[in-house]
Amino acid sequence: MFIEVKDARKQYGSGEAAVYALDGIDFTLDEGKICVILGPSGSGKSTLLNMIGGLDSLDSGKMMINGTSITGLSKKALTAYRKENVGFVFQFYNLIPDLTVEENVAVVAEIAKKPLSMDDILKALDIEKYRYRFPRELSGGQQQRVAIARAMVKNPRLLLCDELTGALDTKSSRSVLRFIEKINREYGTTTLIITHNEAIAGMADIIVRIRDGKIESCDENRNKVTSDALVL
Amino acid sequence: MKLNKRYRRGIRADLPFYVSASLLTMVTLLMFYLFYIAGTGIGQYGDEFFSRNKREDATFATYMEIPLEKISAFEEKYGVTLERERYAGVDEGDYKVRVFRPNEKIDLYEIHTGRDLRNDGEILISAGYADENGVSPGEKISVGGRKYTVVGTFLRPDYLYMIENLTDDYKNVTTFFLAYMTPREFKSRFGEGSIHYKVIYGEKTDQVAFRKDINDHYYMASYLAADNNMRITFVHEQADMFIMSSWFILTLFPLLTVLMICILLGRKIRAEQKLIGTLSAMGYSKVKLMRHYSLFAVIPGIVGGLLTSVAALVLAKPFGSLGLADYEPMTPEFTLPLWVAAAGLAVPTLIYFIAAMLRVRKLLKEDTVKLLAGQVGNDAKSRRILTRTRRKVKFRFAVRQLVGNPGRSFVIFLGIFLGAAVVAFGFSFLDSVKAVGEQAHGEFGSFRYEYVLNTLEKGKPYAGEAMIMLPFEDAKARQFSLIGLDSDSTLWNLTTVDGEKADLASGFYISTLCEAIYDVHKGDQFTFRHIATLEKHTVTIDGVIKNGYQSYLISSRKSAADIAGLDSGSYNVILAERSLPLETDKISEIISDTTYENQMQNMINAMAGLIYAFIGIGMIICIASLYATVNNMLSECGHNISMLKVLGFEDRRIHCMILSSNHLLLLPGIILGIAFAYGGMAWYCAEFIEVERLIIPATLKPISILMTVVITVFCYFVSLVLLRRKVNKIDMIEALKDNRE
Repeated sequence: MFIEVKDARKQYGSGEAAVYALDGIDFTLDEGKICVILGPSGSGKSTLLNMIGGLDSLDSGKMMINGTSITGLSKKALTAYRKENVGFVFQFYNLIPDLTVEENVAVVAEIAKKPLSMDDILKALDIEKYRYRFPRELSGGQQQRVAIARAMVKNPRLLLCDELTGALDTKSSRSVLRFIEKINREYGTTTLIITHNEAIAGMADIIVRIRDGKIESCDENRNKVTSDALVL
Repeated sequence: MKLNKRYRRGIRADLPFYVSASLLTMVTLLMFYLFYIAGTGIGQYGDEFFSRNKREDATFATYMEIPLEKISAFEEKYGVTLERERYAGVDEGDYKVRVFRPNEKIDLYEIHTGRDLRNDGEILISAGYADENGVSPGEKISVGGRKYTVVGTFLRPDYLYMIENLTDDYKNVTTFFLAYMTPREFKSRFGEGSIHYKVIYGEKTDQVAFRKDINDHYYMASYLAADNNMRITFVHEQADMFIMSSWFILTLFPLLTVLMICILLGRKIRAEQKLIGTLSAMGYSKVKLMRHYSLFAVIPGIVGGLLTSVAALVLAKPFGSLGLADYEPMTPEFTLPLWVAAAGLAVPTLIYFIAAMLRVRKLLKEDTVKLLAGQVGNDAKSRRILTRTRRKVKFRFAVRQLVGNPGRSFVIFLGIFLGAAVVAFGFSFLDSVKAVGEQAHGEFGSFRYEYVLNTLEKGKPYAGEAMIMLPFEDAKARQFSLIGLDSDSTLWNLTTVDGEKADLASGFYISTLCEAIYDVHKGDQFTFRHIATLEKHTVTIDGVIKNGYQSYLISSRKSAADIAGLDSGSYNVILAERSLPLETDKISEIISDTTYENQMQNMINAMAGLIYAFIGIGMIICIASLYATVNNMLSECGHNISMLKVLGFEDRRIHCMILSSNHLLLLPGIILGIAFAYGGMAWYCAEFIEVERLIIPATLKPISILMTVVITVFCYFVSLVLLRRKVNKIDMIEALKDNRE
């Protein structure tokens, strides 16, 4: 198992205001798979993604990534874990506005142990021609591709995507998903996508449904289609 | 308005900004307050003390004694108060005493501690010496071989600055003091003593006619107007220096600080554009929004103003006392005038209020949709630089941060600049005063001793070189020395500023100090008059000799004697390369090559506290301004920082990338700060040429430059270290959520 989550619990607030973001989650995922996590707002899917990505820590439970526990790791160790293993893509891209496309990608490549070729990744995501542009000079879809390039340049084993098409139109969404599919195929990157959009689940190997911090279902997608076939 | 509930929360959330902005407002205003309070306190004390104790307008000596009945006649004729003062000089070896018989009309003494004289065996001594040497009432002191009981200490208006000889530039309270005995005791010990006269002019007195009349009948030997008497003028000069410094400080530091805080306030308001847009869309009027944000902005003004008033009340006395270290123990009241306190509170507050109001108004002129999207002010074309360079991303990011945020960069630069400027100014002051001591004798000449004689001699001395030195004045009664030297003199510096040797046999030359004070230059005609006869003379200046410490007109001994109406071979000063065994009663004063150096070192010792306080204030300004600005920068960059954390950047790398972007401003800020301080010192020295009768060479030694750099860099990094915690505390998830909102 590449990802193994056991009885994961996370609570925000206390007393009557306590909210159980994760309420005993059990979940596994094999390496190289695409997993789509579906759920309404407040269901705990972003919290689960943050825990897997080492942005936050569990109150209790266990979380193993590639056979290594990340539960209870120090802040420094979690930083190293993120640096070496995890690529993030967010709904609003979170690019650094004062850096060009090339620089947004290079800034991560500079700290990576074995970064991919920047030219290759820019070409793969078809943003090579925008390399000297600033994020504000790009469309949403283009920005999201830059965000994917930035996440991928360090050649992570795990790509975590939080509502990556949430701010995009249908055409841009399809384009971005096509690149996610391509990366998964070419680099074998284990990919977790959380989304409201049921349609995206069509391209997943595993579909997880989550509600009120609990997993409702975790199924293998027997009708997996390519991103081009998705009805977005 | 429910919106106002944000005040407490907003202040708590941004406490570091409000604390540092208030502190900055306080520190810079406090500098102005303290200098202003000290200046007005000293000036006011001087006025009152002079008035209470009938300070002289001039003192003079005559070759013939003026009879008492004639004194009354002169008083009546010219509407003056005239008094004969009797005194005697006593050299006790370890110390010298100038003993006076008490006056009745002019330059009265005021008891400082103890009581007045009652018996002949009692003595009053000057308070500065008593304080310096720990002499208390009740102790015995020897004067002229007899022991007297010290019953009290006193101050007198013509000796508030205790200069032993009028040619000295610095006080002597360690080996010289004044004393009073009863008239009977004075007479029994010293007979009539030496005599000089004190005069207070009436409003309508024709001073020139009075002086001519005195000279015509009693032959004026010397005349010194109060305006030329450093023992008197130094009181108001010190007051003026403080007040001038306060206005210099006000126009520079508080105004720049206020500007700095206004820029930061503007940026903080711009950062709230989404909320402002939302409130505007909800129907909040422009006036309500302007008022809401302006009230946030006045907090540093009110808190800073109040803190300044409190700090000024506490610090005014000790600070003012630092400025009085050179004087007799005067007791001015250092109080904060209400209008100054009110202005200190109101002015920055009002400026912050207006700045915030204008910023909100400007924002509200923008398209609401743009505000809601947070896009106002993001149109930074200047950030498109270094896009195609191979330099490290960190460097490119730093440069764009600076260029793309000119207001913020300016404020950071200003913080470094102001800090470096204040620190460098403090060091420059010390260096410049030291330079006077170090350079002065070189400009005087190669002699080691200058013996000023009591009498006029003729011919040549048995050793050394003869010189005649006599006081003259210009039409404004500003005195200088007319010097006459033999043309083969080798001991006096005769090199002109053009690099040539002055030809005394055929010309007249002035010192650079004289040139600066009287605004007379090479080729100009210089008109002056004898201080006794008031006879006018006009000469053409053939050159200027580099000497910023003595105000003189120099020519041959013959020319000088001719002007003074003396025999051509007369002299009253001997210059010597070695100590001469002259009879002590023939010597009025000995000036050695270390005199200036010692006087300046004493001055530095006395002023050190003030200067180090100045340097300390510079450090606070530097740290507080950088803290406030970089804190603001971190708030603005919170999203970038959180994203770098998400991407796996260690804290060390994030500090390096975000905080180090300002390093580029460090060097220019320090260099310009030092240059500004040096320029300020040069201006300051130039302003004080006439007041101090000294050209202080504006100096900043390499070691001082190094110290300034070290201190400023230290302050800079202290502020960054303080802010590292803030970088570390930025929560990745919260920042990402904020971005989603």
